[in-house]
Amino acid sequence: MPDALTVAARANHVLVGALLIAGLAFAAIGAALNDTFYLRLATEALIFGGLALSVDILLGYTGLLSLGQALYFGLGAYLSALVLMAVPSFWLALAAGLGAGLVLGLIGGIIAIRVRGVYFALITFGLAQVVAKVVYNTRSLGASDGLLGVPIINIDLGLASVSSASPAGFFLVVLAVIIALYAVSAYILDTPFGRLLIALRANDRRVPFLGYRTASLRLSSFVFAAVIATVSGTLYPMLRGFVSPELLFFSTSGNAVITVLLGGVGTLMGALYGSVLLTVLRSLIGTWTEHHLMIIGLLFMGAVIFLPNGLMGLVRPAVERLLMRKARP
Amino acid sequence: MAEVLDYVQFVLAPQVVTGLAFGVAVILVAIGLTIIFGLLDVINMSHGEFYAFGAFAALALGWLGLPFWLLLILVPLAMLPVGYAVERMLIQRVFNRPDRHVTTLLLTFGLGLVLEDAFRLGFGPNPYRPDTPIPGAVELFGIFLPNYRLFLIVVGAVVIAAVALVVYRTRLGAMVRAAAFDRNMAASLGVPVAWVYAGAFAFGISLAGFAGVLLAPIYSVFPTMGRDFILMAFTVVIVGGMGSIAGAVVAGLFLTQVQAIAALYISPVWTDPIVFGIMVVMLMVRPQGLFGRLGYA
Amino acid sequence: MVKAFQTSALAALFAAAAVTGVRAADPIRIGVVTPLSGTYAGIGQQVRWGLDLAVKEVNAAGGIMGRPIELLYEDEEANPAVAVQKAEKLFEVAKVDFLTGTVSSGSTLAVGQLAERAGKLIATTVSFADSITGDRCSPNVFRVNARAGQQSAALAVWLSKEKPQAKVFYLGPDYEMGRSTVAAFKASAEKVGASTVGEVFAPLDAKDYTQYFGQVRAARPQVLYTSVAGNDTVRLLSQLQEFGLLNNLSLVGASGTVTSQNIAAIGKAAEGFVTGVGYSTEINSPENKKFVDAFKAAYKAEPDLYGADSYGLIYAYKAAVEKAKSTETDKVREALRGLKWMTPQGEKTIRAGDHQAIQAMYVVRITNGQFKIGGEVKGDDAIGPDTCTRF
Repeated sequence: MPDALTVAARANHVLVGALLIAGLAFAAIGAALNDTFYLRLATEALIFGGLALSVDILLGYTGLLSLGQALYFGLGAYLSALVLMAVPSFWLALAAGLGAGLVLGLIGGIIAIRVRGVYFALITFGLAQVVAKVVYNTRSLGASDGLLGVPIINIDLGLASVSSASPAGFFLVVLAVIIALYAVSAYILDTPFGRLLIALRANDRRVPFLGYRTASLRLSSFVFAAVIATVSGTLYPMLRGFVSPELLFFSTSGNAVITVLLGGVGTLMGALYGSVLLTVLRSLIGTWTEHHLMIIGLLFMGAVIFLPNGLMGLVRPAVERLLMRKARP
Repeated sequence: MAEVLDYVQFVLAPQVVTGLAFGVAVILVAIGLTIIFGLLDVINMSHGEFYAFGAFAALALGWLGLPFWLLLILVPLAMLPVGYAVERMLIQRVFNRPDRHVTTLLLTFGLGLVLEDAFRLGFGPNPYRPDTPIPGAVELFGIFLPNYRLFLIVVGAVVIAAVALVVYRTRLGAMVRAAAFDRNMAASLGVPVAWVYAGAFAFGISLAGFAGVLLAPIYSVFPTMGRDFILMAFTVVIVGGMGSIAGAVVAGLFLTQVQAIAALYISPVWTDPIVFGIMVVMLMVRPQGLFGRLGYA
Repeated sequence: MVKAFQTSALAALFAAAAVTGVRAADPIRIGVVTPLSGTYAGIGQQVRWGLDLAVKEVNAAGGIMGRPIELLYEDEEANPAVAVQKAEKLFEVAKVDFLTGTVSSGSTLAVGQLAERAGKLIATTVSFADSITGDRCSPNVFRVNARAGQQSAALAVWLSKEKPQAKVFYLGPDYEMGRSTVAAFKASAEKVGASTVGEVFAPLDAKDYTQYFGQVRAARPQVLYTSVAGNDTVRLLSQLQEFGLLNNLSLVGASGTVTSQNIAAIGKAAEGFVTGVGYSTEINSPENKKFVDAFKAAYKAEPDLYGADSYGLIYAYKAAVEKAKSTETDKVREALRGLKWMTPQGEKTIRAGDHQAIQAMYVVRITNGQFKIGGEVKGDDAIGPDTCTRF
C-alpha cells in the first residue's frame, strides 16, 4: 500500500492530466471559434497560476507565508520585456528569467529566511513594497508607466513555430511551460528533499534533531519558489506586450495568496485550478458589479473559515478514493 | 553659530515637532496592533480599516450634529462591541487551528477588503475633511505650531500613558498579561480568558478608531485611508517587540523621527526603504524586538 | 388561394420590417474601461457621469445614424494589467466599436497598444501626459482633453501678468505624471521670467507634507506650484493652511489638483488657488449652462473637467461617425482627424498630426469655492508643437 503522501501525489497526476486534456480541448474549441479573449484570459490565468504555484511551495510545503512573491514575478516580467525588446527570443527570455530567479531568490532568501511565521510574511511584504517603489520611480524602467512595445515574437519549437500573438498557439505554449513547472515542483517535492520541507512545515523545531540544517533547507526552498515565480513572470510581457510596476505591488501578491487558499494549500494543483477559478470569478463578478472587492473578500473569508482545504479539499479526496479502489485488487 | 541656531529653530525643531505628531498617531495605531498580537497571537491585517472605521464613524456622527469632543469618546466606545463581535464571530472560528498565524492573517486580510469596499459603498470615493476643532497656532521660541497638533500630541500621550498604566499597574492589566503568558494557567486561576481575548481585540481596534477620529481633521477621510499606516504600524510593532507597549512607544517615536529627519537630507522616496531596512536589521539581529512580548515584558 | 397569398405577403412584409427594424436598432457599443474602485474612483465617477449624460441626450435625439449608443463599463482598478484584460474583453467579446475611460497614462498607453494590435480606436478624456500625443503617440489613440503642455501654457500666461519675476517652489508627487507636469510648468514659467527656488517630490499618497515645509519656508517663495491630486491635495492644502504658509504664498497647480470632487474636503484652504484648465463650470456660454444644469439635475453634483471632457467625447464620436457614415476603424479615424465640434467649453479641433484636441484654455481662480475664470488663452496659442512622428 503506497503511503498517503504518494497517493496524494498520484491523485495530483490525475488532476494534472485532467487539466491538460481540458486545456487542449479548450484550445481546439477556441481556435475553431476564432476566439481571442477567452484564450488569452486563460493564458493569463495560467501565468498567474505559476506565481500561485510558487506561493504554494513556500506556504503549503515549507510552511512560510510569502506576502511579496510578486516581487520575483514582476522582476521576471521586466527582465523578459527588456530582453525581448533587444533580442526577440523566447528561449533567451526564459533563460534570463531562470538565471534572475536564482540570483534574486538567493538575495531575497538570505534576508528573509532568518525568521519564520509572521515575521517572514512581513519581511517579504516589506521587501516587495520597497523594490516596487524603486521600480516605480526608475526612469529607465519606464517609471510609473512601465515598459511598452514588447514585440510579438515567434517561438521556435524545432518542428514548428508559434507566434505569441496567436491566442490558441501561445496558450498551448504557456500551458506546456506551466505544466512543466508543476511537474518539476511535484517531482522535487516527492523526493526526500521535499519530504523534509513538509517536515519543516509540520514542526520545524524537530527537524534539526533529525540531523538536517533548516537554514539551508529553507533557503533552497525559497530560491526554488523564486525561480518558479520569475519564470512565470517572463511569460507575461509575451502575452500582453507590456509590463508595469503594478505587477510587483501587494495586490498581485495578495491575489496569489487568495488563489492558493481557494484552490487548496499544499496541493500544487490547487494553485493552478485556483487561478483558473479566481480569474473566471473576477471576470464575471467584475462585469456585474463594481463592488467586486467586497464579494471576493467575503468569498475569501468564507473559504478561510469553511473551506480550509480549498477546492482541492473537495475534489482530491474523491480522486484519491478512486485511486485507492483501483489499487486494491 | 547664528546659522546653526537658525537651522535648529526654523528647520530642525519644526521637523521634530511635526514628526512627533505623526509619531503619536502611529503609536496609537501600533499599540492596538501589538496588544492584539501579543495577547491573541493574531496578525490583524484589517487594523488600518478599523482606523478608517473610526474616522468614517466620526464623520457620520458629526453630520448628525454631535460635537467633536463627544465623538472622541463616543466613537471608540461604540467600536468596542464591533470589535467584540468580530473576534467572537470570525476570529474564534479559525483560532484553534494549528496554522493560526496564517489563517488569521488571511481572514483579517479578507475583512480589510470587505471593509474598504463598504466605506466606498457608503460614503463614495471622494475625500472628506472635518473642520479642525482647534484652529489657529502658537509660536513657541519662533517655532510655528498649529494648536490642533499640540492638542493631538497631548491627548495622544495621555491616552498612551493611560493604556500603559492599565496594562502594567492594574488588576485588569494583570489578567490580560497572565492570559498572554499562559492561557490555561490563567483560566485555571479564574481569569475569564474568552472575555479577555475578545475584550483585548475590541480594545485594540477601538484604539485604532480613536486614532482615526483624532487624525481626521489633518489627514482627511477616504475609503483607502487604511493603507496609509499599515506598513509603518507593523514596522513599529516588530521593531518595538510584538506585544510590548513600551516597545511600541519607543519604536514609534524613533522611527517617525528617523523618517522626518531623513526627509530633510535625502529624497523622500527613500525614507520608506530606510524604515524597512531598520525592520530587517532588527529581525536579523534581535527578532523579538526591543522589548519582547506582552507576557514577558 | 388569394387569402393564402395575402397572408404570406403580409407575413413577408412583417418579416422584412422586423429585420430592417432590428438592424436599425442595432446599438453602437462603446466600451468604458475606467477605475471604479481604488484611489482614482472619484475620477472614474465623473467620467461615468459625463458619458452617461451625453449618451442619454444623444439617444433621446435619435442616436447616431438612427442607432442608439450602448455603454459597457468595466473596472480597471487603476492597474494597466487589468485595464488591458478588460479592454480586450470589450473588443473581442462584446465587440465594441470604440473604447474610452482610461485614467492613468500607464493604462491609456497600454490599452492604446492593444487597440493598435486589435485594429480598434480608443480615446482618453483624462490622461494628460504629453507623451500620449507626443513621443508615444499612436494612430489608434485620440485625446479630447487638454494635455500638460496646454495647462502650463495657460498658467504661465497668468504668472507673467500677475507675478512677474516670481520665485517659484515646486512640490509634486513622485511619479511620472507628477514629475512631468512640474517639468512642463517649470519650462513655461522660466520662459516668462520666473525663477526656481526649490523642488521637492513627495511619495504618492504621502499623508504628512509638513516634513517638507521647513524647506519651503527656507526658500521663501512667492508662488508654490503643485501637481498633487485627489486626497493628496486635500492633505497638502489643509496642512499648508494649518501651518500658516498660505498667508504670503500664491498657490498654483495642475488641472486635476483641485476639482469639484475634492474641493469640499479642502474647504477654505483652496481659496485663491489658480490653475490652467480646459474647463470650468463658470464658462459663460449657453452650451455650458445647459450642460451644467443637466448634470446637476441628474447627479446632484457639479461637473469637473473629467466629466465635461467625457461628455464632449460622445459628441465628437457622433460627429465623426456621421461624417464617415460608418463605424469602421479606418473611416472613423479619418473623420476624427481635423474634426471640429461643439462642446460645453466651446469649439474644439482634433489636430490631425497627433490626435490632440486643440481648445481654449482658461485661467481659473478659486473664489468662494467657485471655479471663477480669470483669463483665457486661445487654443492655437496654448497648444504646443506637434511632436508625433509615427504618422
